[in-house]
Amino acid sequence: MKLFKKLAVLVILATVPATVFAQGGRQSPDEFRRMLDVGLKHRTASELYEALKTDAHGGKQSPPYDQLPDWSGLWTAAGGNSFFDPGPGGIMPKLKPAVAAVLKQGAELAAKGIEYDENLSQCGPPGFPRWLVIPFLREFIVRPEQTWLTSETVNNVRRIYTDGRSHPAPEERYPLYYGDSIGFWDGPKLVIHTNQLMTRSMGRQQPSQSDQMETVEIWQKVRAGVIEADVWIYDPALYLEPWYLKRTYNQLPNPTKSVRIQYWNCNENPNNEVYKTPDGSTNYKDLTFTNKNDSKEPTR
Amino acid sequence: MIGNRINAAVFATAMLLASTSLQAHHSAVMFEETKEVTFEGVVKEFQFTNPHSWLLVDVTNKDGSVTTWGFEAEGPSTLLRNGVRPADFRSGTKLTITGRPMRDGRPGALWRKAVRADGVEFYPGGRPASAARP
Repeated sequence: MKLFKKLAVLVILATVPATVFAQGGRQSPDEFRRMLDVGLKHRTASELYEALKTDAHGGKQSPPYDQLPDWSGLWTAAGGNSFFDPGPGGIMPKLKPAVAAVLKQGAELAAKGIEYDENLSQCGPPGFPRWLVIPFLREFIVRPEQTWLTSETVNNVRRIYTDGRSHPAPEERYPLYYGDSIGFWDGPKLVIHTNQLMTRSMGRQQPSQSDQMETVEIWQKVRAGVIEADVWIYDPALYLEPWYLKRTYNQLPNPTKSVRIQYWNCNENPNNEVYKTPDGSTNYKDLTFTNKNDSKEPTR
Repeated sequence: MIGNRINAAVFATAMLLASTSLQAHHSAVMFEETKEVTFEGVVKEFQFTNPHSWLLVDVTNKDGSVTTWGFEAEGPSTLLRNGVRPADFRSGTKLTITGRPMRDGRPGALWRKAVRADGVEFYPGGRPASAARP
């Protein structure tokens, strides 16, 4: 049995990096480095956003429909780099020591089968930037004055204002799950700046982002059925330097149009209720099809 | 006759490589990582719900008693994409079903595969390469 367990661990170790590299495989290390350097040239996300706007000669606000790209259909995340994994070529994010320690501890707990999702287990919002990496269906609704980037997971909508408005005045700002996003169009590219983000967990056994986090994204359809997002993350509580990642979203073949986004409610089915166990992991509450007194903590 | 068969075997390599379950709502750590159980049974109810669906299956034990097992899968959009429709498992449908059991001993499992009595196979997490159609 021990031999089988060791084999399982080896398979996990062998499989995960392969997945990571496969996900980021479309981007060469040189291209990744070039994009990372774009962020490193600017001290803040605001400065990067303004530089991109200057490069786009001010960009376009509220362009007419015939100048907007077609992002219709259903989309799913196809992979890409995550917030703390190395980029192509093994380029590592420069993390604050405390963040690296949280990641290490989280990996150790996960290896013991201890995981809990502070955001999603109770159907709370994944928030941004985790929104970029969650699975399941997405729809992108492009209008001149706003673009809505939506996801099936917990029914969330990111509103990107492209009508020329600014972020709220500093005295009107408060922490938001998805932040406040403004943008402009640079031809078929949507450039987004997001601030007003909330301090909260970035995922299972992941560190927390801070309310200092700001991001810049460039979204574009690179070919039929494929949309890519280049993302620069600035959060001095996490990273010693700005970090960059690319996410890819593939259009879902849906010839019969039978697959649709439907509402999520964790209370709809009581069998989906989970709780945080004393050791910090996840287990189901009372399942309706079992005896109420048969619940006991998992053995690890 | 509906039998009751439990195969608790370690299939680490195959399970890990075949695993396509997304489990975004919560972690799947309440399920065994590598063990599988397989039963023959009769569908009691198919709860086709977000964020997770549950297929409830009545399994007759050797002593004649019946245990209702719950097999958890992703929500409707993932199931429909993987060819699992609510009408495929009406109440009373006979099937053989396989999943990763809960660690705490309750009769629940992460649904991996089902084969109806008519021979049609279903993979709620997606058909693994090892089960590719000829």
